[in-house]
Amino acid sequence: MTRPLSIVSLLPELLGTNGDAANARVLAQRARWAGVEAAVVEVRSSADLPDQVDAVIVGSGSDADLVRARDILATMTTELRTWATAGVPILLVGTGWELLSWGIELGDGTVVEGLGILAGRAVPMPARATDDIVVTSRHGRLIGFENHSRSYVGAEASPLGQVLYGTGNGAGSEGLVMGSVVGTHLHGPVLARNPGLADHLLRTALVRIGHEYRPGGHSSAADDMAKAARNQVAVRLGLPTE
Amino acid sequence: MRYAPAILLGRVVRKLARWRKPGGGSAIPGLVVNRIAPGFLPRTLNSFPGGLVIVTGSSGKSTTTKMLVAALRAHGMVVFTNQSTANISQGLTSALLEQASLSGHIAGDIAVLEMDEGHGALISGSLTPRVVALTNVMVDQIDRFHDSDMVAAMLAKIAARATGTVVINADDQYLTALAARLDGTSAIARYGVSAEVLAANPRGLGYSATTTSRLDEGEGMLLTSVHGRRATVSIAGVGYPIGLPARGTHYAVDALTALSTARAALGGRFDPVLAIGAISAIPPVFGRGEIVTVRGRQVEFVLVQNPASFQLNVDSLEPGTDQILIAIGSDVRDPSYFWPVNTSSLGRVRIASGSKAQDIALQLVYDDVVVDRIESDLGLALDEFLALPEPLTGLKTIIFSADSMRRTRAHLGLVTNKEEQE
Repeated sequence: MTRPLSIVSLLPELLGTNGDAANARVLAQRARWAGVEAAVVEVRSSADLPDQVDAVIVGSGSDADLVRARDILATMTTELRTWATAGVPILLVGTGWELLSWGIELGDGTVVEGLGILAGRAVPMPARATDDIVVTSRHGRLIGFENHSRSYVGAEASPLGQVLYGTGNGAGSEGLVMGSVVGTHLHGPVLARNPGLADHLLRTALVRIGHEYRPGGHSSAADDMAKAARNQVAVRLGLPTE
Repeated sequence: MRYAPAILLGRVVRKLARWRKPGGGSAIPGLVVNRIAPGFLPRTLNSFPGGLVIVTGSSGKSTTTKMLVAALRAHGMVVFTNQSTANISQGLTSALLEQASLSGHIAGDIAVLEMDEGHGALISGSLTPRVVALTNVMVDQIDRFHDSDMVAAMLAKIAARATGTVVINADDQYLTALAARLDGTSAIARYGVSAEVLAANPRGLGYSATTTSRLDEGEGMLLTSVHGRRATVSIAGVGYPIGLPARGTHYAVDALTALSTARAALGGRFDPVLAIGAISAIPPVFGRGEIVTVRGRQVEFVLVQNPASFQLNVDSLEPGTDQILIAIGSDVRDPSYFWPVNTSSLGRVRIASGSKAQDIALQLVYDDVVVDRIESDLGLALDEFLALPEPLTGLKTIIFSADSMRRTRAHLGLVTNKEEQE
């Protein structure tokens, strides 16, 4: 490649509560392990946007920052739509995902309008979901941790997968897939723990710009650790190991 | 003598609990007394002539409380405090039972209590503290306190009970905002670090939000420099050197918090030289930069309790430290917990251990840290780690979560903190 792969971490402080922003570092590292130069670009306002964007990570934030985060994201609505249309992989976690939807209904009846890029909306749940979550998906069985107080309605037609254990969107499915955009409640190091999903996003990013992707040798050691960590959760939950 | 029956019953229960489990069972008598005499705890705590001082916040409570107690005692005050971190109401009641007369009174001039923000918010409604000291708002204990706003709201509830002074960390945006919303019943005392100290911590001090401007001389006590275990504080324009129980800016900030709180509690009697002398004489706190000799080898223990303290501890390790063991246990339920931390400066970790060994190793390798070995069995890991020849740089360093700390101490036959026997 003539230029490094450019991975944008959007609002890493405002939307990075559970270390979600670390997923950008995971993608960059996997790219490097495959021999591809990669750089994480932290974007706090539209002025920080780089010329080239190959992948985007948006994490989860605090409810008190919803409007502030939305207002900043709204200045980049056109870019987000353009990337989504152009097939740039975008990983959205928790409130980062909710903010790109039609809107977020809060417990007190008020609504935070979303950017309207993704179908569906977030609605309050009777109780917070804080637990391990296990999802079957086309990228393998995903295991992560969820901690949210809203379900997601309107993604039933194209979820990321089906919930084996946990809450997810509610009603049995988890996440949302729209083209190259993936929304999920699996917070924190979802890509490190689930390299199948990470490699799907990375491959999408590289193929788009005419490159092949073959996971590097370094990845396999990390992926063995991830598998052991996933199996540990599976055993605890009484699920078969991989 | 209103509480005499409850106190007597509590003591009998304590005897029974200790008989059943030597050295343990301290929360049970409190549970019993709180059930039959719910007024005992607040009434006793509110009855000290010098009032009640509450230390709360996300991080640094234990160290700050210890330092504050030392500073007050150096001024000749008789202090009641919760020695262990049994900072829930049962534990507190049990601790009070140890010392209360049958009339429910405790000999002492002043009470200093460390309170967990969650439990503190629950019981503070019945308390009338004279001074409330707030350390900081960090994303802490992710499973329980989801976000900073929730933590700040709990702290605001405790601060609103203060009758004299609310002591706040002026570098913490949440606390500054909280202080601005107080109704003016109590005075506000501020403390903060200088621009130089902040600049020396490029990743900040770990607060959920840091204020954009630094405190001016004259607005409160300042931390003006930190070098290893030595720091300088500025009180009313005069600089004083102070010794810390371990390396790291966070310990210096704890000392500053303790000094500000001591001044609020003592008023005109506050003597900076006495207070600083007492704080400088404090031995290292268990598990937080504590240096112990085990099997003939010096080992540094570093306890990480939340992402912020993990980051600060990683940043304050001696550069090039070449023998590191990291053990993360079952107390860290959600592995996301530590991902905000950049561990790359560790360079190489000899062994990743604890029940979350795979998860912490995964994070380390993504940060380009070489992990020699993953060994979930902490006992085995410790034996191997200690058997390694002396390190070339730095001390043998064990970084652990609270659960792994307990297991480490048990495995090595080291005395434990009081609360860990319970």
